[in-house]
Amino acid sequence: MTPKVRVLLADDHAIVLEGLRALVDGEPDLQVVGSTTDGTAVADLVVQLRPDVVVLDLELAGIRGTEVLAALRALKEPPKVLILTAYNDGESIRSALDAGAEGLALKTQSPQQTIAAIRQVHAGQLVFPQAARRWLEERAGSGRGGREGADLTQREREVWALVARGLPNSEIAKKLGLSANTVKFHVQHLFHKLGVKNRTAAALKHASAERPSPSPGQPRTGGLSRFP
Amino acid sequence: MPSRKRDAPSKASRRLLAANERELGRIVLDMHDGPVQDIFAALSQLQVLDRALEHDEASQRRVRQAMALLERVLGEIRNFIGAFRPPGFERRELAEIIEGLAVQHETLTDQVVQLTVAPNVGECALETKIALYRILQEALANGFRHSGATRQAVTVERRAETITLAVSDDGRGFSTRQVLAREEDVGVEGGHFGLRGIQDRVAMLGGTFTLTSVVGKGTTMTIALPAE
Repeated sequence: MTPKVRVLLADDHAIVLEGLRALVDGEPDLQVVGSTTDGTAVADLVVQLRPDVVVLDLELAGIRGTEVLAALRALKEPPKVLILTAYNDGESIRSALDAGAEGLALKTQSPQQTIAAIRQVHAGQLVFPQAARRWLEERAGSGRGGREGADLTQREREVWALVARGLPNSEIAKKLGLSANTVKFHVQHLFHKLGVKNRTAAALKHASAERPSPSPGQPRTGGLSRFP
Repeated sequence: MPSRKRDAPSKASRRLLAANERELGRIVLDMHDGPVQDIFAALSQLQVLDRALEHDEASQRRVRQAMALLERVLGEIRNFIGAFRPPGFERRELAEIIEGLAVQHETLTDQVVQLTVAPNVGECALETKIALYRILQEALANGFRHSGATRQAVTVERRAETITLAVSDDGRGFSTRQVLAREEDVGVEGGHFGLRGIQDRVAMLGGTFTLTSVVGKGTTMTIALPAE
């Protein structure tokens, strides 16, 4: 028999914890191993109880949900983290992504969605709204450790590669199906992120970044390929 | 047919804009801390009950009716919070809140937002930031409800001390004269303040408003506001 997925619940509303615990425990493949309303206790509980998935409220009292996430990320064997929040605005999605959560579920949707999301993040998927794809791409890019251009977006990488081949903006625009203005915008961002002033310098950096890095950082996530 | 409006800003109306946002923030927080948590918890418990009633079809039907009602309420609260929660105007930069709004719009509507924010946009007065955000929010909602287009393009630029926001679509278009003259547009319906409201906000800050629309071709709204 497959072992049950071990779930830790952290939410500063006791009434939510009580409801979710009953619901999760009723699922044949899930099991609540602990729950807390105290955000500062989460990291210790994770070490002690070794959950597979932590369901974490982003609006905890006393400590920011993102700080708890950072503490979990620093653990030797970090659990998967599913953020549970009432807010599906850009800021909440962004901070969950930036802090390294595997997914986001909403308190303004049926709790069944939370249950489904627990299973998905445990299975290795990133569970975020499709609209967050541009930020996911950035995150996939930034997982490449200390390499040159590690914080570039997918689009900026494409533009960079074409700049390195000596193409003018108008040609790049044609190749990528963008307007010349949009390319100009990406090129400006690219120069800023690379810390260069012109196309030649950007091209040189591209050549050196193409060589294997002496100690490539391990991407923490599999990036977009795991996006549902 | 273009239509323009220019007016002198008043300090009192500028202060009013910021005060409104603070009040909205408080209301949203109350919704979050009370009803959202309670309803989510109640739904969790009802799901458990639903499972326990597997052999009592009549009771199960009643439970499911209750769940459907509560989910509907949650959906309404989700829309309310999405429309009214201020996105941290004082903490976050203009480009960041605009990007967050674009993602939020895509999440709620599945309509694509092609966003271009010039890298030199920088920071602006709090009132300008609030106005740009609320106007863009309204323009995107209008474009979603009326244009029939699958995507909208948003451009934010800065020229000297003026910030320009342009929102366009290639949807069905309309007669600007008729729509702008229509009295109904004055009211606030479902959290939307309409084109009238957009013009009022622009006028309060001493900016300009331009609306061009061609039936069958699409619509472009451009507003320019003083950055400070």
